[in-house]
Amino acid sequence: MSLDLATAAHLLDACASGIVVVGVLIAGTRSIGRAVLLLAVQSIFLALAAAIVGASTGTGHLIVGAVLTLATKGIAVPLILGRILRGSPVRFERRPYLGRRSSLIVAILIVFVTTAAIDGAALGRSLDAPRALPAALAEVLTGLLIAMTRRKGLSIVIGLLVFENGLALTAFSLTYGMPLVIELGIAFDLLVAIVVVWVYARRMLATFGSLSTDELRSLRG
Amino acid sequence: MIELTAAVLVLVPLVGGGLAWVLPADGSRRVAAVAMTVTAVVGLGLSGVCFGLGAIRAFGGLLVLDALGAYVLALTVVVAALAMAASPRYLRHELESGALRALDEARYYALLLWFLAGLVAIPLLDNLGLLWVAIEATTVVSALLVGITRTPQAIEAAWKYLILGTIGLGFALLGTLLAYASSVPALGETSEALAWTRLVAVAPMLDPNMLRLAFLFALVGYGTKMGLVPFHTWLPDAHSQAPSPISALLSGVTLNAALYALVRFHLVAIGGLGEGYSSTLLIGFGLLTIAVALPFMVAQGDLKRLLAYSSVEHMGILALAIGFGGPLALLGGTLHMGLHSLAKSSLFLSAGELVQQYGTPRLARLRGALGAAPIAGGAFGTGIVLLAGLPPSGIFVTEFAIVLGGIQRGHVLAAAVAALLLSLAFAALAFHGARLIFGQPQSTTPQGGRGRWLAIRLAVPLAVVALLGLWTPDPIAAALDAVRAILGGTHG
Repeated sequence: MSLDLATAAHLLDACASGIVVVGVLIAGTRSIGRAVLLLAVQSIFLALAAAIVGASTGTGHLIVGAVLTLATKGIAVPLILGRILRGSPVRFERRPYLGRRSSLIVAILIVFVTTAAIDGAALGRSLDAPRALPAALAEVLTGLLIAMTRRKGLSIVIGLLVFENGLALTAFSLTYGMPLVIELGIAFDLLVAIVVVWVYARRMLATFGSLSTDELRSLRG
Repeated sequence: MIELTAAVLVLVPLVGGGLAWVLPADGSRRVAAVAMTVTAVVGLGLSGVCFGLGAIRAFGGLLVLDALGAYVLALTVVVAALAMAASPRYLRHELESGALRALDEARYYALLLWFLAGLVAIPLLDNLGLLWVAIEATTVVSALLVGITRTPQAIEAAWKYLILGTIGLGFALLGTLLAYASSVPALGETSEALAWTRLVAVAPMLDPNMLRLAFLFALVGYGTKMGLVPFHTWLPDAHSQAPSPISALLSGVTLNAALYALVRFHLVAIGGLGEGYSSTLLIGFGLLTIAVALPFMVAQGDLKRLLAYSSVEHMGILALAIGFGGPLALLGGTLHMGLHSLAKSSLFLSAGELVQQYGTPRLARLRGALGAAPIAGGAFGTGIVLLAGLPPSGIFVTEFAIVLGGIQRGHVLAAAVAALLLSLAFAALAFHGARLIFGQPQSTTPQGGRGRWLAIRLAVPLAVVALLGLWTPDPIAAALDAVRAILGGTHG
């Protein structure tokens, strides 16, 4: 498999930009269903990015990483989140700690700041895609923003997954991916973590009647 | 031979867990007991070989067990065996009181074994990426154990643990990635670039800016897992809501495992950046951790949360010891790590007995434990005195060594502040302990908690903690010194 390095760099930048735009949209939506859908789109962009890096630099295990990303984050995880959502009475993030408009503004600010801070950071690598690393760090921060400012359990998990996507993009763009065995381990851990989230989401629904973290206030001091 | 042994160590609990999941409760208990025994014997054997003959390498360098790893491994299997020994009695009570469903007994043992498989893998892996995978796996499995009783509080604690643990470990993964990236100029793009033995060897050639960031993210990430302030908020919830044998494992083993991972990053950092950077951060976070844990211990109203905040405090002490560096503080820190594991796990187990017997963890209602439950109450009283560091407890000796070592290394102010905070923590533990042990018991408190076996398994770890304060046998002293040498950055 080979892909012209210059073309690959442009494609990677395009994917990175796509990931960032989707990240901003996730931060700006109150519908949890739409956020799950957007998360799937972002993960598909991420898988594409991994495939591009793999094909252009001849790192075969990144292709495996791309397939894994697509299968877990692109398909399995959104399906599980969709199932949880169908069982939950809450479909909207009603009163987040940070409102829709403010979240949107902060998310855009994050993109500007990360781009300004490390735009075109000279990594001395063969693949010269200056958007990738700023995009990766922007998603790490956007994910944290979402996880910290939402009240509903599912929204927090979505923030966590955006954060994970940022980490994965960092891995692809900074190091051309980790060795395969570690990619496998990380993908497995992620999947198990989501299944455990599913288990607890069901228990929270059964016990509290909602997935709102407002119910989680009994342990203090 | 070594390969086979290492494989047995991880595979026995892994496969045993699978068996325990599908078997009925009686069968799963037996499987767990057998798997635990095998793992403990093999783990201690492997550690012994390592201490006797030097570092072990296997599977083409994927597995490495040096003195530090062997020490963590030995503590892991000992505390896990204590937790396992306490589990049947604990679960019987929970089942009788209806807190646990019958089906969950088999699941408890299955999860306990999988948790154990992850924990014994951690000190064996010579790869920062796989180390991360193992630690994340233990987080996910133990989150299921924390919430196994399905009370609203347990679900809340498990949820926080899962979410905050995953975010924290995300940062640790970022740190791991940056450590990998920092090595690419020196090592090229190979999987060896994640082996900490290789990273330490080429540390001076690593990209210093990336290495600085890598350590910072590892500190946030593994610091979350070991309960360093301000990333500790999940810890008192999870450690107090978990079934008590699991609390013992969480406080006595997983905190050490996270510290172990952080120490590997620290050793790479001092190799590449010199002593200043990572040591200063560890001292700062260590002091902050002790200082913040203290008021929560003083004003605590819940027995298990008191122990959990004390774990936070002790992790602060260990971060401080490693940050101070120098032979005295590091030797003190090494021994402190082991003594804290033993004392804290015994305390969580006796606290579990008391909580079950009184039917509440509220300190205000736990009074006169020595009269009501002589064995658990006596063990708890002895344990709290040892943990607080009353001479001749080994913990007094180690805390003294750490403070003195800090002064030797020129950290006079930090050491003085630490000494003040430690004496206040002593007072807090002594205050709560004395009221619990001697206070006026309520007339309704049921009598209970007898049995020679209960006394033995609660008392033996405490006896070790007390004895090591007075006298250290030569083989143990040699082993501790070997660990100390690795913590000091001198390999071999």
